[in-house]
Amino acid sequence: MPPEKSDLLQGTLDMLILKIVALGPVHGYGISLRIRQISKDVLQVQQGSLYPALHRLEKRGWLKAEWGQSDNGREAKFYSLSPKGRKQLAEEESNWQRLAGAVSDILRTRPTEAES
Amino acid sequence: MTRRPNPGRDAQFDRELRFHIEKLIEEKIAAGLPPHEARRQAALEFGGSEQLKEELRDVYRVRVVESSMRNLRSALRFIRKSPSFSATIIATLALGIGANTAVFSAIDAIILRPLPFPNGDQLVQLDQYAAKTSNPGMHVAPARLEDWNRMNSTFQAMTGYYLNDGSETSGPLPERITQALVAPRFFDVWGIRPARGRAFSEQEELANGPRAAVISDRLWRQRFGRDPNAVGKQLRIEGVTFSIVGITPPSFRFPERTVDFWTPVPVDSPVMRSSSPDARRATWYTVIGRLKPGVTEAQARDDLARVQAQLGNEYPQTDSRLAVKIDSLKRLIVGDTQRSLWILFGSVSLLLLIACTNIAALLLARTAQRQREISIRYSLGASRASIIAQLLTEVSVLAVAGSLVALLLAGAASQVFHALSRNLPRVEEIRLNGTLVLYSAGCAIFTTLLCGLFPAIRATRRSLAGSLAEHGRTQVSGRHPLQWILVSAQVALAVTLLVGAGLLLRSFQALGRVSPGFDPDHVLTFRISGNWAETVNLERLRQRMNRDLDALRSLPGIAGAATALALPGVPFGNRSEFKVTGQPSDPDQKIIATSRVVSAGYFETMHIPLLDGEPCRESLIGVAVVNRRFAETYLGTRLALGNHLTFVPPNPYMPSAEIRGIVADAREEGLQNEPAPTVYLCQSAPVPSPAFLVRTYGEPTAMAQAVRRKIHQVEPSRTVYQISPLEDDLRDSFAENRMRTTLLTFFAVTAILLACLGLYGTLTYVVNLRRREVGLRLAIGAERTQIAGQFLNEAFRSSLFGCAGGIALAVVSTRVLAGMLYGVTALDVTTFVAVVMLVLATGVLSALWPAMRAARLDPMQVLREE
Repeated sequence: MPPEKSDLLQGTLDMLILKIVALGPVHGYGISLRIRQISKDVLQVQQGSLYPALHRLEKRGWLKAEWGQSDNGREAKFYSLSPKGRKQLAEEESNWQRLAGAVSDILRTRPTEAES
Repeated sequence: MTRRPNPGRDAQFDRELRFHIEKLIEEKIAAGLPPHEARRQAALEFGGSEQLKEELRDVYRVRVVESSMRNLRSALRFIRKSPSFSATIIATLALGIGANTAVFSAIDAIILRPLPFPNGDQLVQLDQYAAKTSNPGMHVAPARLEDWNRMNSTFQAMTGYYLNDGSETSGPLPERITQALVAPRFFDVWGIRPARGRAFSEQEELANGPRAAVISDRLWRQRFGRDPNAVGKQLRIEGVTFSIVGITPPSFRFPERTVDFWTPVPVDSPVMRSSSPDARRATWYTVIGRLKPGVTEAQARDDLARVQAQLGNEYPQTDSRLAVKIDSLKRLIVGDTQRSLWILFGSVSLLLLIACTNIAALLLARTAQRQREISIRYSLGASRASIIAQLLTEVSVLAVAGSLVALLLAGAASQVFHALSRNLPRVEEIRLNGTLVLYSAGCAIFTTLLCGLFPAIRATRRSLAGSLAEHGRTQVSGRHPLQWILVSAQVALAVTLLVGAGLLLRSFQALGRVSPGFDPDHVLTFRISGNWAETVNLERLRQRMNRDLDALRSLPGIAGAATALALPGVPFGNRSEFKVTGQPSDPDQKIIATSRVVSAGYFETMHIPLLDGEPCRESLIGVAVVNRRFAETYLGTRLALGNHLTFVPPNPYMPSAEIRGIVADAREEGLQNEPAPTVYLCQSAPVPSPAFLVRTYGEPTAMAQAVRRKIHQVEPSRTVYQISPLEDDLRDSFAENRMRTTLLTFFAVTAILLACLGLYGTLTYVVNLRRREVGLRLAIGAERTQIAGQFLNEAFRSSLFGCAGGIALAVVSTRVLAGMLYGVTALDVTTFVAVVMLVLATGVLSALWPAMRAARLDPMQVLREE
């Protein structure tokens, strides 16, 4: 049995894609594989969401795409981060950190602290 | 983004997705599944690839319709939310586009559209003139018309016509009816066919043939009540019975608007005999020709010069001194109106520019307030283009609304033109049509781009938009040079228009102050219908005129009566060359003078002082009076009396005239024209219906009924028409001038109002933005007058810059008014100074309220707001 899967929070997929792509040029399959591996199978990206997201980001100019040879010699479309995408990623990361910090702060609150 | 050129986007999707599936299959085989099972599971996991591909296509699809609908909805919402702002913009645009479309409607109808005849641009008017004096409007002998028509090679056909007054005597008072007597080919040359019935047959063009008439649509309606069987009925005018053979279409208003019916001039009458000198001297016809397709006016001119030279050899006595003049009929009809209209169009275009600038400033202020909304949309992932599209949609909705209102305004414009200038040519052709709708739509697009694009681009600049979340509080704002530049631009354009209007107004005033040399006050003018057939017996015609004049003079309330060939003060332009009998004619100093024909009593009636000798008298024939300028220029005041003048070339009706008197100079050829050397020939009946002038003791119009009744007594079968005070006739001769002046003044006043509105709006906005600063300064002890003064100063400075720019613009652009000005130069200092004072004063006035409001701010309240 695979571990319980979580749905991706709305809007976080873009950030995850940017983050993975930031590590180096990678194709769509590679992205879904990495997300699965890094999240230890908690996060699973459906192809039905992944590819539209990739193309949207490419159209917006945050990703660059290039056809190249994959490891076994087949042609694949490799995505990499544009400078604009890098800025966007930084912004989204810091937003996320703030949000996540705030949420976990709230969750860690114990009853006595709230009352005081 | 690199994309392989050849395989289409779909193929790329396929390749990208296939790669993914294959990797999945490999992955599953590596995990130990048999190949076919791995393939099955991978396909399952991947889901419908068609659906996915559709989603990918969606990413690249630009949803023009949907997004513009969305923009439209949000624009409508925006307009609903800020009704007064939107109303201001719509009203400003309606005014700007409306005025522009209105003037364009006149330009389109009068200048741009061809005359309302098939291939109207082929129509020209021809005239003969004595080459030496270039005296226009001599009219053409019927025999010569036939010669021209036969001998030329550049015209499809030529025809001619003249008008005759008749009286229709079936009612209680005779009614005037205008007959046009036409040469052969008349309807063919115009290219029209009667709406009912037919044109004249060859039989009907013979002297002994059946008498036929084509009647006008108006006569058909008024006299025959649109009777469908009117063709074939009889028309009885002054004892002659015509049978009606046709009815013209309603659009046929030429050659003259007043013509009631057309009849042919017999082609076999003696006046058609080419060789008779008398026939060749008859000046009857206004001649219209239709050029062959592709023939230019210049070619036709050369052709007819050749024809006339040939005629000159054939008939040296009558034809050798004549030349032929050709003018495009349209140019003749449109005349000087063209220049006035283009000037008006220029000024309404400036007005539209002011309106746009005004709106751009409003929008700038508005979008500055919407920075927050814009930055939110950015952070939701909207692209700059889509935000600009949305902002432009808002403006374009306003512009479309404005141009719809504008169309209504323009629709009413023809009435305005009609009211301002009765004599405006082709005014009845001005009306709303597809061209105008297109034009105002074009204006709407133009204004949308002009006043919307710039604020939209500025508002969506990232540096402004991106950072809003951080400082939502209003900062103490710096300068707003852009807003103030827009205000200055409006002021500059308004100043230009005001200077133009001011110059025209001052010319008009100057014209009003001119002493014309005759007294138009208390003079009633009219005509009495007469027939050219009466000129066969000139003595009888003269007796009739004198009988009418005597009857008028016997009326109580009338101080004097006279006839004249042309009304004094209305340009007529009859220039002739004269010779003094017994003096060797000096080829270097030809005697060229305006010739006027007046009856006995003319100078007394018009209050033109007699300087020497005696005025015109009834008993005298072959007598002339000259004005002082004529005497001084050509003969010397002492020596003028007693000389005999003859026309060059000789005029059979006026063999020689003795100068018996000298009168003072009068501006009879138009108030704006210096009096020219003038010869008055004393004759009461130069034409069958000359202008009658009577001087009244009381209101001239009050005498109109008495005059009508008296003439009816003496001439029961004649009509009195065109009855009006001379003052009105003079005013009418300035109708175009007045239209130009009135409209330009209206546009200029609108322009300055718009500019003031712009100034007011901008200052209000600036004051609002700087509330906090003002509040702070008041809190730490700034004087209220200081605050108000500072804002006023800002407004004053931008008005001042505007004035400077406006003066520069005006200096360059008032040149187009040259020739329309009277008594002022295009660089009239008084006008310029007055305009600058006016603009600065209104500028400060419109700045006063916002500045005072700033000064009255309550510091505590302002600081608490934040």
